[in-house]
Amino acid sequence: MKSTFIALSAAIIAVGVVSVKKPDYVKHIISVFSPAGEEERTPFVTRVAEQKVEAPAEKKPAPVFQEVKRPVQPPVDTVVTAAMDKKVDESALRYFASRGDTARLQAEISRLKALYPDWTPPKDPLAIPQNEDKQLETMWDLYAQGRYTDVRKAIAERQAAEPAWKAPADLIDRLAVAEARTRLINASDLKQYETVVRIGSETPSLLTCSEVDVLWRVAEAFFRTNKAQRANDAYTYILANCQNSAERLATVQKAAALLPAKDIEALLTREKVAPDGAREFDSIRDDLARRFVAEANADGKIVVSPEYVSRVERLAETGGLASDALLLGWYYLPRGDMEDAEKWFRRARDKEDSASASQGLSLVLIDRGVPQDAEDAMYRWRDTSEDAKAVYLAATANLLALDPPASIKSEVLKRIATETIKSRDAATAQQFGWYARALNQPQTAIKWFKTALGWKLDDEPSAYGLAVTYLQVEDAKGLAEIQRLWAGRSERIARAGEEEQTEEKTTELQVPATEEAAVVGGQARRPAARVVVVAGEPQETEIVVERVRPRGTANTGRGCKTTVDPQMLAPEAALTRGWCLMEMNRPMEAAAAFEVGLLGSSAKTREDAAYGQSLAYLRAGLASKAAVSAVKAPQNRKRAYELQSAILADKAVAAFDAGRAREAILVLDQLKQIGPERTDLLSLRGYAYLKLKRYADARQVFEALAAIGNRDGQRGLGILYRIFNDHE
Amino acid sequence: MGRMLAALLAGIFGVCLAVAPVAAQQPVIAAEAWSAYKAKFLDPSGRIIDDGNGGISHSEGQGYGLLLAVLAGSQPDFDFIWSFTQTELLLRDDGLAAWKWSEAAKPHITDINNATDGDILIAYALGLAGRQWNRPDYTQAGSRIARAILDRTLLHQGDRSALLPAATGFSARDRKDGPVVNPSYWIFEAFPVLDQLAPSPEWAKLRNDGIALITDFHFGPKQLPADWVSLMSPPKPAEGFPAEYGYNALRIPLYLVRAGFTDRQLLDRFRRQTFSANGTFTTIDLESGNIRSNHSDPGYRIINHILACVVDKTRLPADLKQFTPTLYYPSTLHLLGLSFIAASQPECL
Repeated sequence: MKSTFIALSAAIIAVGVVSVKKPDYVKHIISVFSPAGEEERTPFVTRVAEQKVEAPAEKKPAPVFQEVKRPVQPPVDTVVTAAMDKKVDESALRYFASRGDTARLQAEISRLKALYPDWTPPKDPLAIPQNEDKQLETMWDLYAQGRYTDVRKAIAERQAAEPAWKAPADLIDRLAVAEARTRLINASDLKQYETVVRIGSETPSLLTCSEVDVLWRVAEAFFRTNKAQRANDAYTYILANCQNSAERLATVQKAAALLPAKDIEALLTREKVAPDGAREFDSIRDDLARRFVAEANADGKIVVSPEYVSRVERLAETGGLASDALLLGWYYLPRGDMEDAEKWFRRARDKEDSASASQGLSLVLIDRGVPQDAEDAMYRWRDTSEDAKAVYLAATANLLALDPPASIKSEVLKRIATETIKSRDAATAQQFGWYARALNQPQTAIKWFKTALGWKLDDEPSAYGLAVTYLQVEDAKGLAEIQRLWAGRSERIARAGEEEQTEEKTTELQVPATEEAAVVGGQARRPAARVVVVAGEPQETEIVVERVRPRGTANTGRGCKTTVDPQMLAPEAALTRGWCLMEMNRPMEAAAAFEVGLLGSSAKTREDAAYGQSLAYLRAGLASKAAVSAVKAPQNRKRAYELQSAILADKAVAAFDAGRAREAILVLDQLKQIGPERTDLLSLRGYAYLKLKRYADARQVFEALAAIGNRDGQRGLGILYRIFNDHE
Repeated sequence: MGRMLAALLAGIFGVCLAVAPVAAQQPVIAAEAWSAYKAKFLDPSGRIIDDGNGGISHSEGQGYGLLLAVLAGSQPDFDFIWSFTQTELLLRDDGLAAWKWSEAAKPHITDINNATDGDILIAYALGLAGRQWNRPDYTQAGSRIARAILDRTLLHQGDRSALLPAATGFSARDRKDGPVVNPSYWIFEAFPVLDQLAPSPEWAKLRNDGIALITDFHFGPKQLPADWVSLMSPPKPAEGFPAEYGYNALRIPLYLVRAGFTDRQLLDRFRRQTFSANGTFTTIDLESGNIRSNHSDPGYRIINHILACVVDKTRLPADLKQFTPTLYYPSTLHLLGLSFIAASQPECL
């Protein structure tokens, strides 16, 4: 197999060199289409280089045509010797000439020249004696019309009628190439890219400028089979060798759809410049710039050459298309350049208000701390998509979370409440709770916190808000109930109303107070809202949860926003800083602060620090580190249980996500030994059983879940039903 | 007991197979019969039309077409059918053929999965054609497919080798009663040729284990194999398919005798249980042993007479010696049957 390929490759080189003396692109062919590895390729290239010495490019006679197209024959030595005693069949020449088919005529001449280097094309192909064989003439006719199976059929019929007759080898070869072409296109349409690459390398005569479509398909097949470099080589080959300007342009466009920007830029250097200075790819440069910028919308880490960004800026300024301004807004947003992002989103809205422009602008405004404007901008677009709704609700939650509380017009408050209820948005409901508390309307606050909890059972901040509000209105029963429900799940809820905490915390007043440190008499400060930032274009589904920067002069310089080396702090101060950082959702820094807290002299500080660090690692997704931290200081029973179950739950989920269902079950079993199994973990168990094909066990779990109206239970049973009833 | 018998049968059978397989040096399908077949089922594009199945084409049909062209000694037709097969079906990355082609659909391939019997038939016909007409390109293409069959459809179940009906959809991973096999995909006569195309001890093992499997598959009161069998322990008719001895399984005895298998007991069982007294083919509901349907197409009936010929040297009735095309599937079986009699049992003519 390999030797066949080598012979074939040698043939390509040999024929290419002898007939056209244009080793440049031959080298390309080798590098592009050789399925062999680098070390196997080198000899061919070397060979080319050697040949090159004999026929320097500068001195080469002008080739009859720019490209040679059909080198299909055996290595040169055989060809040269064999060619001498063979009569060149010129009938196809005459045929194409008589039809005025110059493209095919020229292709045939270069093909024959490749086959028979000493052959000179006739001056007048029409003078070639006409093919006496009418039937053969018909076959050529069918061939020229691309009716290849009809040619096969004509051959078959004639062979049946005249057993002695043999079709000309020329015709058979051409048919084989034509069939390979059809097969390659079929395989490409069916995304069978390895087949495409195989046919391409087996049929080098297809890989020529006269078959640019085939080259494109082979290039894509290379790309799809993880050979992006080969794809790039193929596009480069076209630009280096093929002359059709429409095809060259399309080549860059096709490459741009697959290859990264830097490869496209390299391809663009192959651009031809006309004497008047016009560059052949100028017409698509704008679109390329747009594409590069759009590509970078999705990922803030993608670097776009400034040339393209400013090109789009120029387009946006001169052309005035809202879509260009929008591209720029979404380009600057993930790069944290809020000023430019705002400018372009506003420009886009001025041209043509749209959900996308309003979403972008709202995100900027939320970031800038003016959520009221964001709410206003987003309101009319809130129902256009899920992402639009998410941005609107982020604006509302942040608006209500402003500190000091914003004064909000009653009609705005009303529409926010309506949307919150319609969307069952726990985050905004929770903020309504805090807002009501700030306006000293504890009964309203209680209603909103309860509503939030009704939508999101595990919304600890709402439960906490409820606890401190019960405390405020001296509803001991309500407080006791919420503390019972959250026992073992939230330290601060458990501690709400514990007078003795007051002193300990107030002694640390020099350290910025945190929410944790202020659990007294219902004076809890509310947490800042969580903002949903939609990364990239609104149609992108990736959603990043970020915490809005706390706003307002009251907060400036307080808390833990400034970067401080925790090693410089006293253990108690570090502990407080740790909780503050947790509040800011910066768990890794919090873990470092808690580490210092572990050095504290009081057992209580060490216990809190270990607890905090464990929670921090859990939040950072580092369950094994969390497990280590949890035992750095003895914990009370409640906390120990809380941590252990959270760590194990994390491990179970991680094991399942990593495809280790068996391990997930083991961890879940451990978890079951320390307490009742939570419903979400129960459904995880069901899915793990499913994965292990333990259908009976899975069914039992899902049935139990379905019995309490759990959706995972119903889904699981649905999956099982399909497994057992769907045999197709 | 069953296994011992199977081993014994396989031994005898192995000796039979060592002899050259059915390969037509002289055409064993009459020119008129082949012309009639072509006129009815061979499209001008080189595809075999399954007219009983909405006019689609498939790898099985192309494989049969290629094999019949070899048996009819027609290289031009072979070339023509091969051209279509290669350009339109032999597209999969793994080197197997996509099984289903429909004129109306675009792209024409409506299911990229393969059908292993189609692949076996194509590779087998290419191997025969390459040898018969000295065409290394056929042989090379056949070798490639044979290797892909070994790579992609071979199943090791315990100490036995089996054939998956397709590269995807039938393994233990794909189905809860998997692996599932189709015993009529064991085209025994092909294995020695495939062994020449892609030498491997697996072919002989497939052959021997195939005999053992078929002997083991005796379901229901009539003790017959099912069209589709789950290889779970113990084997049983596969879920989601009718539990019957039907159009698929019908080919099992034909393939056995074509490959030189002569065991009277097993062949008699097929004959008695699946053909009625007047010679019509009956599909059997395996659970009850009842007849589901009767089929009098000559292409089905001839199998009864071939079995009678092999076992008792009974002559073929006159109406079956004549070939008149009906529908693609029975007509194909009819020509396979006639060519077998002509090549190996001329005394039954």
